[in-house]
Amino acid sequence: MSQPACSTANRARAFWVPAALLFCAVILVLNPLPFHTPVAPATPVADWVTDPAPVERPKLRPEYTVAVFDYRCSDCHRIIPSPAETDRRLTQHREIELAHGINTRCFNCHHRTNRDAFADDAGDEIPWDQPQRLCSKCHGPVYRDWQHGSHGRTNGYWDKTQGQQTRRKCIECHNPHRPTFRPMHPAPGPNTLRMGPQGHSAHAEVHDPLRLKWTTGHHGESATHQ
Amino acid sequence: MADLHARTESDQAQNAGAPDLTRRSFLTQGAAALAGVTAVAAAVSPLRHLSAEHLPNLDEFLQKHYKEMTAEDKQRVFARISQEVQQRHHVQARLSDPPPLDGVEFVYGLNLSRCIGCRKCVHACVKENNQSRSPEIQYIRVLEMEKGSIDLETANHHYDPESVPNPDKYYMPVQCHQCANPPCVKVCPVEATWQEPDGIVVIDYDWCIGCRYCEAACPYWARRFNFADPQIPSDKLNPDMAYLSNRPRERGVMEKCTYCLQRTRVGRMPACLEVCPTGSRKFGNVLDPDSEVAYILQHKRVFVLKEDVGTIPRFFYYFDERGGRYREPVASPDLGGEA
Repeated sequence: MSQPACSTANRARAFWVPAALLFCAVILVLNPLPFHTPVAPATPVADWVTDPAPVERPKLRPEYTVAVFDYRCSDCHRIIPSPAETDRRLTQHREIELAHGINTRCFNCHHRTNRDAFADDAGDEIPWDQPQRLCSKCHGPVYRDWQHGSHGRTNGYWDKTQGQQTRRKCIECHNPHRPTFRPMHPAPGPNTLRMGPQGHSAHAEVHDPLRLKWTTGHHGESATHQ
Repeated sequence: MADLHARTESDQAQNAGAPDLTRRSFLTQGAAALAGVTAVAAAVSPLRHLSAEHLPNLDEFLQKHYKEMTAEDKQRVFARISQEVQQRHHVQARLSDPPPLDGVEFVYGLNLSRCIGCRKCVHACVKENNQSRSPEIQYIRVLEMEKGSIDLETANHHYDPESVPNPDKYYMPVQCHQCANPPCVKVCPVEATWQEPDGIVVIDYDWCIGCRYCEAACPYWARRFNFADPQIPSDKLNPDMAYLSNRPRERGVMEKCTYCLQRTRVGRMPACLEVCPTGSRKFGNVLDPDSEVAYILQHKRVFVLKEDVGTIPRFFYYFDERGGRYREPVASPDLGGEA
């Protein structure tokens, strides 16, 4: 090859090397495709979510509140007897929502004469502080499970020698007049790096936590199609 | 060949002496050198975010493995961790290291007939165990499952209806099963994770190198990795910490459920159990025949997740004789009488 052609090649090389390096430097400094962090801001969690209190708040006393005053049940019912069968619309206790299956009679559970107590199958009194014995009249298997701890809540200490164990009673989770467990709003779902919200079912698309910013539009678009 | 030969000759001629360095070649080579230095500087520029906080000091660097530490070593390490928590969060941490109890093996029971999928356990766990809030790290994953199957392929953990439970689904929370034959422990190349005598699989966060082998080995996906610096608001920090469980973690280490060992090894119930509104979660010592979990294992229909993989979990799902009745109750009956 002749000498002029060689020097042209040298000159071309001398131009391309710094040009390529400069291009790299510009790309790295200006950073036109910045890394888009997939870390989402913290999801606020309401206080009720971490509150360990049971869902129902029964008085656990034979008391009834009128306005701000608490009365013992017997305070009224000693003077005002209620009819033997509830064959009329209630004039008192109208706020009670009764939805206990076929159990629609007050005196199935409440004692006829002593309103501070419950009634067992023989018509004898069950003390007001033992409502689980009342429920066990019908819900035998659940009562058995509750006695052994496989149904219901046990809070406090698993080791009774080290601290107090609290067995929650039936009416602390079930409203006795409407015993089905109430549906509740779920706490916020996962928004972790691998389990971020994908809008649809978990396996609808591959979640790529390292995606660049310019692919997010496409990502969102494909998500809306599903 | 001729071209190569000519070029070598030409290079030799150029490099023979300084007088051959022309203005043009000086400027070109200078520009190339400058561009090269700029490119290298730009490439290493992320190092400017590196603070002294991320570099181990001498104490941390020379720290021994947890099992080799003497009582004095531990006290020194605990003092250092308390100081770090004080510096970062301005909270006085009560750091402890409760030992496994004699004659105790922890077992968890979860009543699938009662769980309503409210996710309260997920967030109680985060609060108790000082997980990162951003990026979010959660040990418990609640799966919404099709009734009549245990098909994890169709499970969904992103459900967000107005109210749960959905009567057509059931809910299965999954967390660390504290396996008796734990695959995550076997794969750890540095023995940063091991099983304690009470069955709890723990991690020494100071020993973990973040290789994530254990995350890959776990068939339940119970282990979580700190991809970024964990962010915990200082007022949300739980100051009751244990070395092997809920002390603050660094970026680049694994973490997992430890059955709240800072609570359970002093006799208390785990945080996820305490907050469960339905009482679906049961915890106790399986070696005690009078415990709730012993009753469940003896009398209930029990299954373990992915029994076929041979992990022998200490986490049991069970059912009641009749399934949980999610349906709304019948309408309030008409009490009769005058219309």
